[in-house]
Amino acid sequence: MKQYRMRPGRLIAKTVLALAGFLAVFPLLWTALNALKNNVDIITRVPKVVFTPTLANISYILGRDSVLTGLYNSAVACGAAVLIGIVLGLPAAYSVARYPNRFAGDIQFFVLSLRFLPPVAVAIPLMVIWLQIGLYDTLPALIVTYSLLTISVIMWLAIPAFQGVPKEIEEAAFVDGYGAYSVFWRIALPVAARSLIGAIAFSFVLVWNEFLIALMLSSSNAKTLPIVASELSQQGMNVPWGILNASVVLLSLPPLLFLGVLSGFLNSVFRQKKS
Amino acid sequence: MRRRSSLPVTFLVPTLAILLVLSMVPTLYAIVIALQNRELSAPGYSWVWFSNFADLFSDRRFLNAVWVSVKWEIVTVVATMVVAIGLGVLMFEVAGPRLRNFYCLLFIIPVLLPRVSAAFVWKFAYHPLYGIATYPYRLITGGLIFDPLSKPGTALFAVASVDVWQWGLFFAVIVLKLLETLPPQPIEAARLDHAKRWQIHAYVTLPMLKAPLISLMFVKMIESLRSFDLIYVMTRGGPGVATETLDMYAFSQGFIESGKVSYASAMAVLMMIATVITFTMLWKRVQA
Repeated sequence: MKQYRMRPGRLIAKTVLALAGFLAVFPLLWTALNALKNNVDIITRVPKVVFTPTLANISYILGRDSVLTGLYNSAVACGAAVLIGIVLGLPAAYSVARYPNRFAGDIQFFVLSLRFLPPVAVAIPLMVIWLQIGLYDTLPALIVTYSLLTISVIMWLAIPAFQGVPKEIEEAAFVDGYGAYSVFWRIALPVAARSLIGAIAFSFVLVWNEFLIALMLSSSNAKTLPIVASELSQQGMNVPWGILNASVVLLSLPPLLFLGVLSGFLNSVFRQKKS
Repeated sequence: MRRRSSLPVTFLVPTLAILLVLSMVPTLYAIVIALQNRELSAPGYSWVWFSNFADLFSDRRFLNAVWVSVKWEIVTVVATMVVAIGLGVLMFEVAGPRLRNFYCLLFIIPVLLPRVSAAFVWKFAYHPLYGIATYPYRLITGGLIFDPLSKPGTALFAVASVDVWQWGLFFAVIVLKLLETLPPQPIEAARLDHAKRWQIHAYVTLPMLKAPLISLMFVKMIESLRSFDLIYVMTRGGPGVATETLDMYAFSQGFIESGKVSYASAMAVLMMIATVITFTMLWKRVQA
């Protein structure tokens, strides 16, 4: 090992890595910094690092009705869709993982193939359907549409999670007289909990970040936060940049809260593969 | 040991039924709409059968969108895999366990961002006068202006760079984890044979990881289809139609410009058929 230590190649490799790490976070940090600047400090030809910070942008964003409504809509639509995904997706995944029938492969492929559908192809007909039923631009319509996403994603990720639960534990519980349902509730769910939480967090991030469907299914009442944020910029770049930057930061915070959970999930997926 | 139980039926059937309804209703209805001549502004409609599809093939903007979409797929998938494998191997080679964890955490951040956020972050960064990414260019050239998002030649690559920023860094983490799962013996053996570091990876480790890497590429091909958010925020398909992908064109036909829902739906149906056939075939090959 030692003879490789001081090679110039190693130094270049480390530099490239450090540069990539810098590129990964710097643009976002810069945006966060701009959210704290007055407009005069943003619109400069030479980027300013030293400036007098202001909370005006953030308080402006948090004081706007459209942003608060968007935040509420996003929270309700994503929360409800994830809840439906959990209630319908987890049991179905457990059933596929533990009671495989001859359709198991086809079921898994069907669930995955839902991801192939181009979002426009789903959004256009749904818009017409919701318009006809009179549910266009409402949260229930958005929740039902997002449920398709959350159920399939949670199911897809939970199948391997349940398969990772040692069979012996479940068999032992059967011997102890547990029924099939209580084995699911008391054994499989708690044992697989860590991976399952990762899967659920992933589905939340996916729908929170969703844009195209929300854009097509809402016109005023049911706008989610990504739509509101994108509309702030439609007034051209004349809108104070600080405000736009602040809205980007607000939009990005919830998914970043799951950074720890998701990177742990990633680790556990690959630890399973190794063993 | 497992007794016969009602669990598989009660757990699986309702979910599958709901998934089937939620997916088949829009899919079939998309086809129905595509065979009609609905418009957003007018309530009435009639059946026009395949004339929307016939019109599409003489629509030069549609053919341009097909070409842009194909370019987008190729550029983003290739660049993502190159960045992912490059950085993954570098981390495997020169970073210790703690540094690896640190980089992994950093590299996951961009992909978690909503694409709308990522698009804005880079739209600001690429601003010709005040952007942080164009600043080095202004500094070196003494104030010349470089506007990557408004030049037809560079716009697609500028938007694609954001996609690669999100997915390439994330996949680098996965490539690293894949490398870590490999048994050390073949690598040791190659090293004893005086193989160079890059040779070990080119001829030993990466070929061993062929199957998972192909699956990874497959995932990226599917995710690359979802380019709409980035393009909508950053360029709106412009300059001209230089970055107008199929979903962007379908959206602007259906909603912004003319409200021709049926026409847009015909486009969506063609996309759907193309992607479902392609990916089903690819998936069956990956699994085989």
